[in-house]
Amino acid sequence: MSVPAIPYAPKRTAKSVVLLTLAVGFILPVALFGAILVLSPLTKPAMFEALVNQLGGNYAAWSPTAKAGAYAGAAALLGFMLLNFGAIISGTTVWWEMRVSSRMQSRIGYNRVGAGGFFQWIADAVKLLLKEDLVPAEADQLLFRAAPYFVLVGFALTFVALPFGESIIAADLNVGIFYMISVTALVVVGIMLAGWSSNSKWALFGGMRSAAQVISYEIPAGIAIMVPILMAGTLSMQGIIRAQGPWPWQWFVFTNPFAFVAFIIFFIAQLAEGNRTPFDLPEADSELVAGYLSEYSSFRFALYFLVEFGNLWVMAAVAVTLFFGGWQVPGTTLQTFQDAIGPGPLPGAAWWGLQLASLVVFVVKTLVVLNVIVWIRWTLPRIRVDQMMTLCWKYLVPFAFVSFVATLLWMIVVARYPVAATVTGGVLTAVFAVVLAVFLRQTKANITAAGDRVDLTHW
Amino acid sequence: MKTTAGKLSAWFVATLLVVVFLGYMTTQVIQPAYVPGVASTGPAGLTDVLFYVLAAVTIAGAAGVALSRNILYSAVGLLMALLGAGSLYVFLSADFVAVTQLLIYIGGVLVLILFAVMLTNRITEVNVSNTSFGSFGGALLGISVAPVLIAVVTLTPWPARAPAALAPTTALIGNGFLTKWLLPFEVASLVLLATLVGAVVIARKEIKAD
Amino acid sequence: MATTTVREYTGAIKDTVVSFWHGLSITLSHLVRRPMTVQYPDRTPMHVRDMLPPRYRGFLEVDAAICTGCQACERACPIGCIQITLEKDPANPKQRVVTQFDIDEAKCMFCGLCVEPCPTGSIQHTREFEASQSDIRNLVFRWADPATGFPVYKVDKTAEYYPRVELGSLVRAKLETRAWDAPGPKFFPPEPPRPPEEKKPAAKPAAAAPAAAAAAPAPTAPAAAPAADKPTTETK
Repeated sequence: MSVPAIPYAPKRTAKSVVLLTLAVGFILPVALFGAILVLSPLTKPAMFEALVNQLGGNYAAWSPTAKAGAYAGAAALLGFMLLNFGAIISGTTVWWEMRVSSRMQSRIGYNRVGAGGFFQWIADAVKLLLKEDLVPAEADQLLFRAAPYFVLVGFALTFVALPFGESIIAADLNVGIFYMISVTALVVVGIMLAGWSSNSKWALFGGMRSAAQVISYEIPAGIAIMVPILMAGTLSMQGIIRAQGPWPWQWFVFTNPFAFVAFIIFFIAQLAEGNRTPFDLPEADSELVAGYLSEYSSFRFALYFLVEFGNLWVMAAVAVTLFFGGWQVPGTTLQTFQDAIGPGPLPGAAWWGLQLASLVVFVVKTLVVLNVIVWIRWTLPRIRVDQMMTLCWKYLVPFAFVSFVATLLWMIVVARYPVAATVTGGVLTAVFAVVLAVFLRQTKANITAAGDRVDLTHW
Repeated sequence: MKTTAGKLSAWFVATLLVVVFLGYMTTQVIQPAYVPGVASTGPAGLTDVLFYVLAAVTIAGAAGVALSRNILYSAVGLLMALLGAGSLYVFLSADFVAVTQLLIYIGGVLVLILFAVMLTNRITEVNVSNTSFGSFGGALLGISVAPVLIAVVTLTPWPARAPAALAPTTALIGNGFLTKWLLPFEVASLVLLATLVGAVVIARKEIKAD
Repeated sequence: MATTTVREYTGAIKDTVVSFWHGLSITLSHLVRRPMTVQYPDRTPMHVRDMLPPRYRGFLEVDAAICTGCQACERACPIGCIQITLEKDPANPKQRVVTQFDIDEAKCMFCGLCVEPCPTGSIQHTREFEASQSDIRNLVFRWADPATGFPVYKVDKTAEYYPRVELGSLVRAKLETRAWDAPGPKFFPPEPPRPPEEKKPAAKPAAAAPAAAAAAPAPTAPAAAPAADKPTTETK
């Protein structure tokens, strides 16, 4: 074969595309988290009043209607930002998951739209929005159209009580974690209605599997959640975080060995409730086409997709809240936040800096857990229905009860001595670090055994 | 059978009712009706509007349960009614009860109802299921229950205002369950235990029959 | 109902932990290694067509210089995507001219049956495969100019091989001059030979005519009926 007429040169991504991707990849999180950082504290009534006064208004002189309207407007703005956050985080999660999965399968993955294919999720969303909105002729029109909204509402409502930082939370409910697990029930209702109203056997089977799975796994999840609640003595999300400390040996997951068991149970149950692999039976492609969303297209399908991937963030954030010390910044105590507020009606710059630090800590922890979920998805195959039920009822439920009762005893016997908690925390953290090191060595051995080496040049 | 025109007019009437209701509530917020001589508790605020909207959702959901000819629609109506009732608990500053309502009734009972409906064989003929009792029996039942409900409504001293902030109630409820109300609590758990055992017995019988 | 021993119960937990341990470490090890695949089509070290094996069955190419006009390929094609027309040269009645040699690559299934009977190796598969076109008719390759045609090749019986141009160069020249969004040609792509009209067995000439007329619309009725029916949702 002779040399081609035109000298061939591999094409590189244009510099402008790389810059644009980097810019958007930088601006998007900064804008989103910045808006949440600023809006969440400022929509609390006292802060809102102080802000209005600071801006030259006289809040006390406003009519009740104006007060209510302005406050509702601010709250609506925060809600809008949180919804956008949910949508964008699910989109970028899709992109990230596809990149990670392709690397795990020695593929390249998304690389066309923007540098590293970063804009692929936007392209996908636009494509989905432009598709024909089909409603099957034999479907139950009303319920078919209504079902995605149940799912979306169940997802969006979790952001009400989802913490992001020390004061960065839409509403710190007294029953926060309880509220979180109950509003997600709406997602199940939406999935079941979708399965039934599609009038398709695949969708119906998917919906029923999903219902059976979620009802079953709610039990071990609920009992496992009781463990951090017992240790914290409150249901409030922020209260649970405040009961923990900033360092790993002060996190619930490491202070109490039974809490570690509870975390594993909770994590598995969350995977099952979020229909994630290895529990993606409701949408098992090889058996059920796409399960409950077989008949959906266009925007309705996009809603399901948004919720499915946005749920990853919620799952990870709840796990971080309950077991990994939430937003606690190492080197600070709760008093540090109190002291930084300052004398003025609006808190000073130091306080905002601390808030930013807590936000960063929380987001980093959440992303780590999110990556573990992604990692597990591309490691394990889908399990069978009977295996799924066996795992829940024969393994998770008994162990959850054991860890629950053991935690009760722990609280009575051990936790009254703060030294004991510190000692177990230190020991468990050390054990975890050793296990992690052994695991990384095993990974290294896997690479060298294949005659390869660590090579990140093609990321 | 309902015709398309009938359906359309029903939708129209329902929409009109909702619009009138919402419009009326809006006027209440913007220009509270001034009635001379009556001691007003102040203008209707956002909270009051929310209350009436939620109450309307609850009643509409309950009406949907009773009037719908499709059992799935009844289930969705039940969802609305339970959601509305759960939200109304918040106005009584009973946030724990509200969330429990959400978790137990929507996450548990309603999903089980849907599950049972989907497991039924004649799923396409659900339309007949709601008319089994008849309007005469329904009216009889309604008339017999009405005095009790009316008595409760009229005899209860309703508090004029809900407290502004929600006090934490979880610990109080827990203490109440384990001290003052221990016996009812245990009796209720015995009932649940009996249900569990019964469910196991029924399930095992089916396996033996195979 | 099978009973589970304690050993099986704990063994299942152990298996789970071990398989998690190894599975996660394997996927993690692949995560930090270089991907095996290459980025198609524009980040490869050379053209993808040049990286394909030599016996790859890409687009068909006809070297008109050594085409004998025997039409063996046209007869061999199972889907009839080749159409050849032979005419006599008006100037030289002894010389036959191929005035049409169309291959519809949109229909071609790359089976290679046309390559085998070719006496001179004029028609061959190439390694070209990239020819996205907005108009599907642009995938019809005309190997003979309809206006002039090309004279058929006289086979030299003693020749060991036939002088053929470099494989793929003709297709590549055609592909490179055709924009992906070029308007479609006026002619129609070759049609497969129609099977002869089947005649209905006229057993009873007298009574059959009205019966056949009545039977013609009848088959549509059963097909429409299931759609009109409420499909019973299958549940157990």
